[in-house]
Amino acid sequence: MILLEFGGTLLRGLGITLWISWLALLLAAIIGMIVGVGRTSRSLPIRLIAQIYTEFFRSIPTLVQLFLVFFGITFVFNINLSPFAAATIALALEGSALMSEVVRGGIQSVGAGQREAARSSGMRAWQVELYVVWPQAIRVMVPPAVGVYVSTLKASALASVIGYVELMQTGLFIRESVRGGPGGLTVLVAVAVLYVIVNFTISQLGAAIERRSSFVH
Amino acid sequence: MYDFNIEAMYPFFDKLPAAIWTTVEISFLATIFSAILGIFLALMRRSDRLMLRAIATTYVEIIRNMPLLVLLYLVFFGLPAFGIVLSGFLSGLIALTLNSAAFMTEIFRAGLIAVPKGQYEAARSQGMTRSRMYLSVILPQILRVSYAPLGNQIIGVIMGSSIMMIATVEEVTAWMNNTGAVTYRYFEAFVVVAVVYLVLCQGTNLLRNLLGRLIFKSVAAGGRW
Repeated sequence: MILLEFGGTLLRGLGITLWISWLALLLAAIIGMIVGVGRTSRSLPIRLIAQIYTEFFRSIPTLVQLFLVFFGITFVFNINLSPFAAATIALALEGSALMSEVVRGGIQSVGAGQREAARSSGMRAWQVELYVVWPQAIRVMVPPAVGVYVSTLKASALASVIGYVELMQTGLFIRESVRGGPGGLTVLVAVAVLYVIVNFTISQLGAAIERRSSFVH
Repeated sequence: MYDFNIEAMYPFFDKLPAAIWTTVEISFLATIFSAILGIFLALMRRSDRLMLRAIATTYVEIIRNMPLLVLLYLVFFGLPAFGIVLSGFLSGLIALTLNSAAFMTEIFRAGLIAVPKGQYEAARSQGMTRSRMYLSVILPQILRVSYAPLGNQIIGVIMGSSIMMIATVEEVTAWMNNTGAVTYRYFEAFVVVAVVYLVLCQGTNLLRNLLGRLIFKSVAAGGRW
């Protein structure tokens, strides 16, 4: 049984997939927060720049971004990026565009009256954001942010194209080692099943959070 | 300082139109096929029979949680194992269609939910056949709700089509990769390809908004859609 022989290797690949997508999500959350706040800014230039950023990265396929970072940056800045670094950056850029939408949606879900009420009761601008807007906005942001994580996890399979050995590439290597025999297909199916189980679990978790945090306005 | 030299791309521009056409072609076909599949799956998800509901729900959950690349490999390497040898384009089209169908199902399901039960009952009581009811009464109303997300899904399909280069489909991303590999000018190739994708995506967006205004205005004015 090929799965008994290579099961451990596949699970290690899954671990790497989880790790790189977590890292990318973390970076995406940080960048996305800045861009998302920029999109709700009162200054038109900042809003415009933030919107162009979001539209740009949403309109470029992940694979193209991956090639740009991995090959393009190498020649433009004359630095050698490892497949790991390139994949993390590309996934983070892609995720940050999605995340900025999530953050914008969260902030805008808090009614203008809340801000006005907080300001008129003597709070400073930063206090309004910290104590009134964000605690409410975050509740709205969590479920879609889980969605961004799932899509980052799925996109991380593309890192195999530039030679980063995560779950997908592990599966392809094992398939090659059995020379495309029938066991090779079993391994690919196993890879698919692992992705589905992990993503399904995360999605369900997100749905559970959504049910718990939804409250009557 | 990097010397940006877009002229290095000129000798490769003659292959670009064919690449763009391939991207448009595979995205267009996948959109059409997955929309048809999606409508049926959405109807299955609302069926009275548990079996049909279960099949459709399982399909959607599996595909939605699987990377498109994995699905592509399964089709590309899997079908030949059963004696079915397809071209890269067809393998890519199948993978893209199967993937998009899951999202289409959710889009149409949301549309179906938005149509009140009374609409079905009224149409049936007018003596309409089931197919007539769906075509003339239900589908137009579904489209109103599903129209905007449908546009997003088309853009999603265009984004996804870039992965089809793995199955040796000579589309835009493959053009970038080939040109970059020959000239060592990935950045210039990227700029060209980025413009292509931006135009395709924003063009789709624009078209959706214009078309939407046209269709729904005439509907609002009491005309047929």
